[in-house]
Amino acid sequence: MADPSFRPRPLNVRRHFDEELRELEIKVQAMSAAAQDLVAQAVRGLVENNSQLYDQVIQGDDEVDFYYLDIERRIVALFALQTPVATDLRFLTALLHINLHLERVADMAVNIAKIGQSVVDLPRSQVIITHLSEMSGIALKMIAASTDAFARRDMELATKLPSMDDPLDRLNRGMMRAILPISDDKRMLQWAIGMHTVSRQIERIGDHAVDIAEQVAFLITGEFREFTDASHPDKAG
Amino acid sequence: MSKVMKRSSEITLDIKPVPTGGTPDDRPESEPIFRVRDLGVRYGGLLAVRGVTADISRNQITAIIGPSGCGKSTLIRCFNRLNDLIPAASIEGQVLYHGVDLYGPAVDPVEVRRHIGMVFQKPNPFPKSIYENIAFGLRVNGMTDDIDARVEHALQGAALWDEVKGKLKSNALSLSGGQQQRLCIARALAVEPDVILMDEPASALDPVATSRIEDLMESLKEDYTILIVTHNMQQAARVSDMTAFLTVEVSDDGHRTGVLVEFAPTTELFTNPRDPRTEAYITGRFG
Amino acid sequence: MSVGEAQAFSLRGQGGKQNLYEKTFVVLLLVAVLIGVASLITLLIDVLRVGAPRLSVDFLTSLPSRFAARAGAQPALWGTLWVISVCTLFSVPVGMGAAIYLEEFARKGRLATLIELNIANLAAVPSIIYGLLGLAVFVRFFAMGRSVLAGGLTLGLLVLPVIVLSGREALRAVPSSIRDGALALGATRWQTVSRQVFPAALPGFLTGIILALSRAIGETAPLITMGALTYVTFVPNSLLDRFTVLPIQIFNWTSRPQSAFAETAAAGIVVLLAVLLAMNAVAILIRSRYQRKP
Repeated sequence: MADPSFRPRPLNVRRHFDEELRELEIKVQAMSAAAQDLVAQAVRGLVENNSQLYDQVIQGDDEVDFYYLDIERRIVALFALQTPVATDLRFLTALLHINLHLERVADMAVNIAKIGQSVVDLPRSQVIITHLSEMSGIALKMIAASTDAFARRDMELATKLPSMDDPLDRLNRGMMRAILPISDDKRMLQWAIGMHTVSRQIERIGDHAVDIAEQVAFLITGEFREFTDASHPDKAG
Repeated sequence: MSKVMKRSSEITLDIKPVPTGGTPDDRPESEPIFRVRDLGVRYGGLLAVRGVTADISRNQITAIIGPSGCGKSTLIRCFNRLNDLIPAASIEGQVLYHGVDLYGPAVDPVEVRRHIGMVFQKPNPFPKSIYENIAFGLRVNGMTDDIDARVEHALQGAALWDEVKGKLKSNALSLSGGQQQRLCIARALAVEPDVILMDEPASALDPVATSRIEDLMESLKEDYTILIVTHNMQQAARVSDMTAFLTVEVSDDGHRTGVLVEFAPTTELFTNPRDPRTEAYITGRFG
Repeated sequence: MSVGEAQAFSLRGQGGKQNLYEKTFVVLLLVAVLIGVASLITLLIDVLRVGAPRLSVDFLTSLPSRFAARAGAQPALWGTLWVISVCTLFSVPVGMGAAIYLEEFARKGRLATLIELNIANLAAVPSIIYGLLGLAVFVRFFAMGRSVLAGGLTLGLLVLPVIVLSGREALRAVPSSIRDGALALGATRWQTVSRQVFPAALPGFLTGIILALSRAIGETAPLITMGALTYVTFVPNSLLDRFTVLPIQIFNWTSRPQSAFAETAAAGIVVLLAVLLAMNAVAILIRSRYQRKP
């Protein structure tokens, strides 16, 4: 009658909670990958002047939105049902912020795609495109690094993010210098002004990456400190 | 698991085999295991609980929460007819178990309790050996084939086997509080019930023992339906799938009656309760 | 805190007067205990001192006689054993059954309260009344004659209320959580009572039985009333034989003028105490088997 092979599972008293937390780790990594893909696609669209890519980006945003809502709902439910404290609490609040930042990153990709769509017939400058390519490369690396720091709870990596942001800021400021010489061709100027907006979008993607790293530092240390304060640029974290 | 209610000459009950595992959502035709309709309990003529209407789903954990005096224990004891032991108590309304009225004229309460087991607030093992504690239930229910194996299976099911396998003959009262409670759970499991009622099973235990009971409950719900009364809201939030909130209504002449305020999936009730009384209670702003 | 402030806050308490009062009270309680214990020890020592010379196998196997040196307790001893056996066989099952029924199965109400009150009263009725009852009911009405059977049953009635009362207390002392637990497993009322409640209450029952039988073994008046003999030269052979018991025999010896009978009486008392101790030891042994603590 009794099953001799019956062996009870090892005891894990918050098994359900731990499983939910693991789910969230997986989902946020997938969301970050999806957001990074969108940014890469949008910029590639600019580089290749491929409007199909722009459509894919705009559609692909739905996937990221789905992740966003799902993660948000799960976190709220876990707050209500599991009364998390200590590391669990910091994890969930950090994740709440990171979730938002990643969703914004995807929105930025959509913005870039929309700008690309609006200037698709205009003449382009290779210099500026190369400039933007370089910027997006850095920004994507930053998002990947901050997400990686979160996955591995890597404090050292997290604190590197502000310094990765410096070249991005420089390149962003340098955009104006790159655009000004184009004043002769009005149409190309129009395109270039669009690219200026794109450049600002990419720069903000970098900012979101730094914000994500701040959350990682909070999760690890329990102290929340701003890495870089926009109103006090000399007082770095 | 097909069971027949013996001893009640008129009523024969054939329960369709319940597929184990999976969530109720997987089974499109899963009927609620209990249908409660306008249930009320009177003690000596005065209503202690009134107007409870709810459907309890199988293979789920349903929690009953509420302030003290709201009739939670009185309510749960309606499900295994333990209120019958109180001479002054009487029942109104209906409790249908697999479609059969638990309080029907031809229903034998002893038979009811063979299908619907109970674990009490204060662990109450019999003052006998661990083995005999479980064997008693087996013997009174005629499940005497291979008692040794059944005892082991029950103790495994309650996550207690490894701790007591070497001392089955020692007195049950020598176990710690948490172990005693798991023994009471094993005792209930041994008679192969359909439903397990738990009346504040962990309130007399320390936090570690409480966590073990909660983990046990989560694994038990694969094979049983569990109703749990708890005054610990966080516990209800952690373990249950559905939560019922009862509160006390005071009548003009000062008499207190328990009423069902809200009955909803636990996630909903704890993130967005519909009734302001529920909100007030679970946010701790009451009294 | 400065020295001056130290006086305002002190943990010294109320001082000597309180302690003296407490100590005096404890001493008084101790004296009460000692009075009881000392009396008992004095009695035992005296009896053993006086009776020991007469104790022998002969004493236990001889019949009573006009001659103190030859008087023996054999008929009385056997009479006691017979009568107490009948008493036990009657009162223990009936008493336990009544206690179980009244406590576990009877519907609580005015009638039940009335019965409980009456049983308590019966326990306090003077024992000689039971003698009269035994005479009327067992000796005459049931025509048992002045026999061992009638005597045993009379004593049985005497101790029955004690057994019922202490049995009910023992059952009440079993926590209701045990009953709830058993019933919740699908046990019937009878299974719950017979397999869980009663075994748990057994030590309490046995304590009551010990008390009851210890009282019964020393009863003289009711047995004389219903017709026990005071001078018997035969050992009872059947339930319907006439009989005497140790307390009566002892009384008989103490009322003899010859001083030598004082020794015989003391020896008789020792025998009675020995039987009492043996009975209690058996009961305590049974009780401790059921009282295995964790």
